[in-house]
Amino acid sequence: MRKTVAVRDLAVSKKAGRPRKSANFTAILMLAPFLLAYLLFFIFPTLRAVQLSLTDSTLTETGPFVGLANYVQLLGDADFWAALRNTGFFALLTVIPTTLVGLVMALAVHRLVRAKNFVQALFFLPFVLPVSVVTLLWQWILNSSFGIVHALTGSTTSWFGELATAMPTVAVVTIWWTVGFNMLLFIAGLQNISKETYEAASLDGAQGIQVFRYITWPLLWPITTLVLTLQLISSLKIFTQMYLLTGGGPFNSTRVMLQYMYDTAFQNLSGGYASTIAVAFFLIILLVSLVQAALLSRRR
Amino acid sequence: MKQLIDGYNKSQNKYQVQQTVLQWGVPFYTKVRTSTSVGQAPDLISFHLSRISGWAPENLLRPITTQELASVGLKQADFFPRLWQAAGYQGKTYAIPLDTHPLVMYYNKDLAGKAGLLDANGKLKSINSVADLTAAFKAVKDKTGQAGLAFENGPNSYMSWRLWLSMINQEGGKIIQNNKIVAGEPGKRALQAMVDWMKNGYMLKNTDYPTSVAQFTTGKAAFMLNGVWEVPAMADGRAKKTINFDYGVAPLPKFYASQDMWADSHGFAIPNNAKKPIASDHLAGVLDFVAYVQKNSMVWAQGGHIPAYLPTVNSSAYKALKPNSDYATVAAQNVAFDPPGWYSGAAGPLEASAAKYFPAAIQGQLPIDRAISMFEAEANKLMSGKPRP
Repeated sequence: MRKTVAVRDLAVSKKAGRPRKSANFTAILMLAPFLLAYLLFFIFPTLRAVQLSLTDSTLTETGPFVGLANYVQLLGDADFWAALRNTGFFALLTVIPTTLVGLVMALAVHRLVRAKNFVQALFFLPFVLPVSVVTLLWQWILNSSFGIVHALTGSTTSWFGELATAMPTVAVVTIWWTVGFNMLLFIAGLQNISKETYEAASLDGAQGIQVFRYITWPLLWPITTLVLTLQLISSLKIFTQMYLLTGGGPFNSTRVMLQYMYDTAFQNLSGGYASTIAVAFFLIILLVSLVQAALLSRRR
Repeated sequence: MKQLIDGYNKSQNKYQVQQTVLQWGVPFYTKVRTSTSVGQAPDLISFHLSRISGWAPENLLRPITTQELASVGLKQADFFPRLWQAAGYQGKTYAIPLDTHPLVMYYNKDLAGKAGLLDANGKLKSINSVADLTAAFKAVKDKTGQAGLAFENGPNSYMSWRLWLSMINQEGGKIIQNNKIVAGEPGKRALQAMVDWMKNGYMLKNTDYPTSVAQFTTGKAAFMLNGVWEVPAMADGRAKKTINFDYGVAPLPKFYASQDMWADSHGFAIPNNAKKPIASDHLAGVLDFVAYVQKNSMVWAQGGHIPAYLPTVNSSAYKALKPNSDYATVAAQNVAFDPPGWYSGAAGPLEASAAKYFPAAIQGQLPIDRAISMFEAEANKLMSGKPRP
């Protein structure tokens, strides 16, 4: 696919009667609040975290500078690597499944004529729930002595408490909760494919699966890469569901990176080392998403 | 507490107390810690005495002098000695104890009766060893078909730590020495007892906290080991007839040499606001309020907690308060707190670590030795870290 660049807008500013300088000033003025918030709440804390990662700080007091000692410790920290593995495992369980499910739901909803908005709202509904509600709901459903699943099947499995099931169950809950958003993105993508393209395809004799294979899927690819990238980043950043559903257990087997960071900072009161984990993890996410974006965009 | 604050605000018009409630555990302590270090902490906080040894050396709490206490009519002799001791650090008092909430044993009189565990007066026959208690669970299971014990044992649950600590203390053992776990054989024996109860089917698997309470209150278990904080729910359930059996509350049994039982306490402490010490009129108000609460701690006692203030516990009104007075004195004299240290205490990292491995052993996910060694490794790593600060 070729990009079409809109050149129309470029000429506009010259025609406008006002000098360029004041237009710039207006732009800066309008950007300022956002820029300020961005600097204050994103750039500054990031730099501060980097700085703290080089100190031996507690939760509330900045400690002495220790150079790269924390990073050296991190390399040999089995808990760090375990948390990284757990985070990767969770991403594996969620990124592609939730993209696929979102796509299938979008295709199904898109075909509907009458109940479309209703079904779409129904599928989207879990996404509007706060995480605490979602987790409570599933804790009730899956409670091994009083839950609905127990009542229906007699299963006494502790879904969030057993080694084999804890991580997959959190993954399923997360997909259930967030897939509606991906569905919406795909529906938006589907709506952007013009009817004429489909008409042309059907004139050429394309049917059923062929239409999807040669028209829908390639034209949806930009959306798919977007969903995959967003999903990867959010899966790597998982914290709340895990914190509320398994607490990282049983015995650390579902402790993901952000929880390890949280434990280190807020429970073990080690602010410096927690910052080191944060910075290292930031770099890992950055790297992984760049690699992913590069791999996915090659197909274009 | 709300009732006490409202009562205080109405009783005088010199001071006005405003209450903020925060979530128990890590969120609470993190908030207090950060607000204190930026000078925005409240004038008074309620505080677990088990955390004094971590907070006092960090200068996060303001010591309270004997004279200040005397100015509102309070003195050391008015409080249970073990609680007063827990409120101090290196000879200074950092909190005024409000209560203690130990681990106690609830029992269902119907089920216990059917299992032949009650005496002629309808009280629980004495239980003097782990074997006695195990036999009681077995009798319940054999004769009534119900579970012996309702006990929170799901992932990340704290109850096993509490019982573990109680049993080690009763044996005269130690948990920590020189920042190292030294629980050794008593530690293994204590965990073994819990694992065996599960293995023999005396308690239900994977019970989270609400489930364990529901199990007992719906008559599906004859005993429950839990904190005294469930007493109001029990009394309320009886009054509203949602609980259909007679129940009793006994102190944790004497399994070994002593009758120590895990407990924690609430106390009142004054945050040491950074660079902004509490103003003298606020201090006077704080002390006045604390004294009011102590003198009206009958209200607080109805929450199941045992008041730290002896005049309340010794009063005839308290003696008439059932089932509280059945366990209060023995429990309060035998309270055993978490070992001292910055890592210790309510929702501290040491408890959190035990809560990962002990329940896993009880569920059979980890062999006992492995669970203990994993806990020791994590705890030792934690404690070997520099004391903070």
